[in-house]
Amino acid sequence: MLSLGIESTAHTFSCAIIEKKGKQGRILSDIRKIYRPPEGEGIHPREASRHHAENSPQVLAECLQKSGIKINDLDLVSYAAGPGLGPCLRIGAVVARSLASYYGMPIYPVNHALGHIELGKMLTGAKDPLVLLVSGGHTMILAFLSKKWRVFGETLDITLGQLIDQIGRHTGFASPCGPKIEELASKSSTYVQLPYVVKGNDVSFSGLLSATKRIIPQGLESACFSLQETAFSMIGEATERALSFTGKKELLVVGGVAANKRLSDILTSICKRHNCTFFVAPKEYAGDCGSQISWLGLLESSKKDGVELEDTFVRQSWRIDTVEVTY
Amino acid sequence: MAFSILLKLVKRGAEADIYLTTWNGRKSILKIRKRKDYRNELLDNRIRTLRTIREAKMISEVKSFGVSTPLVYFVDQKKCEIFLQFVPGKLARDLPNGTIIKICKEIGRIVGTLHKNGIMHGDLTTSNFILARERLVIMDFGLAQKTEKVEDHAIDLRLFKEVLNSAHVNIVSKSWESFLLGYQKIVGRTRMERVISQVSVIEKRGRYANVV
Repeated sequence: MLSLGIESTAHTFSCAIIEKKGKQGRILSDIRKIYRPPEGEGIHPREASRHHAENSPQVLAECLQKSGIKINDLDLVSYAAGPGLGPCLRIGAVVARSLASYYGMPIYPVNHALGHIELGKMLTGAKDPLVLLVSGGHTMILAFLSKKWRVFGETLDITLGQLIDQIGRHTGFASPCGPKIEELASKSSTYVQLPYVVKGNDVSFSGLLSATKRIIPQGLESACFSLQETAFSMIGEATERALSFTGKKELLVVGGVAANKRLSDILTSICKRHNCTFFVAPKEYAGDCGSQISWLGLLESSKKDGVELEDTFVRQSWRIDTVEVTY
Repeated sequence: MAFSILLKLVKRGAEADIYLTTWNGRKSILKIRKRKDYRNELLDNRIRTLRTIREAKMISEVKSFGVSTPLVYFVDQKKCEIFLQFVPGKLARDLPNGTIIKICKEIGRIVGTLHKNGIMHGDLTTSNFILARERLVIMDFGLAQKTEKVEDHAIDLRLFKEVLNSAHVNIVSKSWESFLLGYQKIVGRTRMERVISQVSVIEKRGRYANVV
C-alpha cells in the first residue's frame, strides 16, 4: 500500500509518501517547507497559509519525484484535519481533495496528534508506551486504553513549545526558538528560582513564562537555563507520576520539543529509575511532517474506507482523546 | 549498628521511595524523598524539603477534623524522610469496579471534609486511598495546600475526574456520580454547584477543548 500524507497544521507544509508492507512502513520521501515569521514574531495564520499555498505545488512535485512513485500508483491520500490553525488546515485539505477527486483516490482526514504518536511508535518499535507529546500545540501525557488514547496529564494553560517560543520571541528570535534557547541554556549553570507548578499529573506554565521574562534582565543565559530546568523538571515529575500510576514499562516522547537534548536526558534518567524503556522519535521525524499523516492514513485504511468528499472536514479544535482508534 | 532496621522497598513512587520497616517496634512505612539526579540541586532541595514538611503538617492538621490518614511517627527534614503508620489494605485503584463505585461516595465525603476545612489535597488519585477494614484512609499530602478558593477545590475535583476518565473508563459516570453524592453531603448543594461549574471552566481551558 502506498499513501501520500499532507501536513499543514501550523508552520510546516509537508508531503510524504510511505509504503506499508504488513505492519511495517518505509518512508520513501518526506519533503517540508517551513514558514518563518519575521524575528520577534510568531506564526501569523494568514501569512502561514499563504506560504503553504504558494509552496504546495513544489513540495508535492518534489515529494513524488524523490519517492520515484507515479501519482497514479498511490492507493490513498490523507491530510491533517486538525487540531491546528484554520487557514493552514484548509490548504492541506484543498490539496488532498483536489488529488482525491482528480485521480479518484480514497481520502482520509486524520488527527495530527495521533499522527505524531503512531509514527513515533512505528519508527521506534515501542509497543504499549506511555506517551509524552510535547510541541507547540500540545503538552500531554497519554496512554492507550480501550480504543482511545486517554489523557493522564496535560498543561492547564500554554504548551511547552509556546513557553519556549514566547521567551525566544520576547528576546527577539523568530519561532521556532527551541534550538536557540537550548544553546543559550547550555552556556550557564546559574539557577534562578522560578515558579514550579505541578498539580497532580498536570502542569501550568503561564506563571513560569511571566517570571522568566522578569529575570531576563539579570542575564539571558541564566534565564534560559533556569527556564529549561524548571519547565523540564515539571514535565519530568508529571511523567513520573503517570508512569508510576499506570505502571507502563515504556515511555515514548514525540513532538517538536522531543528534539531537546536536556529534556531527553531528564526522561532517560526517569526511565532508569522506573525500570522502563525510553524511546524518542528520531530528530527528523519528531516535529511536524507528512510522514505522520501518511502513516496514520495507512493504518486507518486497513480498517476503514475513505470518506466522501463532502465529509472532508477541517477542525481547529480536535482533541485526541475524542478519536476512536479502530486499527 | 544500634539502628539496624529492616528495610524493604515496597514501591518506587513518582516522588518518593516507599519502604516497609519498623518504628519503635511497630510496623511502619518509611517515605524517603530521595535526591533526583536529573533535577537542578537547588530546585530539588527546595521541592523535597517543602513537600516533606508540608506533608507532615497537613496530616496532623486533617487528623484534627477527623479524616483518617496514617499517623506520622517521625520526620527528618534534612534527609526528607517521614516515618508513617503502616496501614494494611488495598489501594482503591486496584479494587473491583463495583467496589470502586461504592467507595467513591466515601472518597467524596473525605474530599468534602478537607475542602470544608480549607485544605486541598493536590493529588487526588485512586492510588492515594487505601481501603482498610471497611475504613477508607487517604494519604500523600505532599502537594496539599491550605486554601478556601473555589478554583483550588475545583482543581482537586478535575484531577479526580481526569483519573476516572483515564484509568477507570468503564465506570466513569457511575463513580463520578457517587463521588459527588458524598461530596455534596459535606459541603452542601450550593457550594458543590459552584465548584462543579468552576471544574467546567477549567476543562474549557484545556487545549482544543473549545470548539472554534
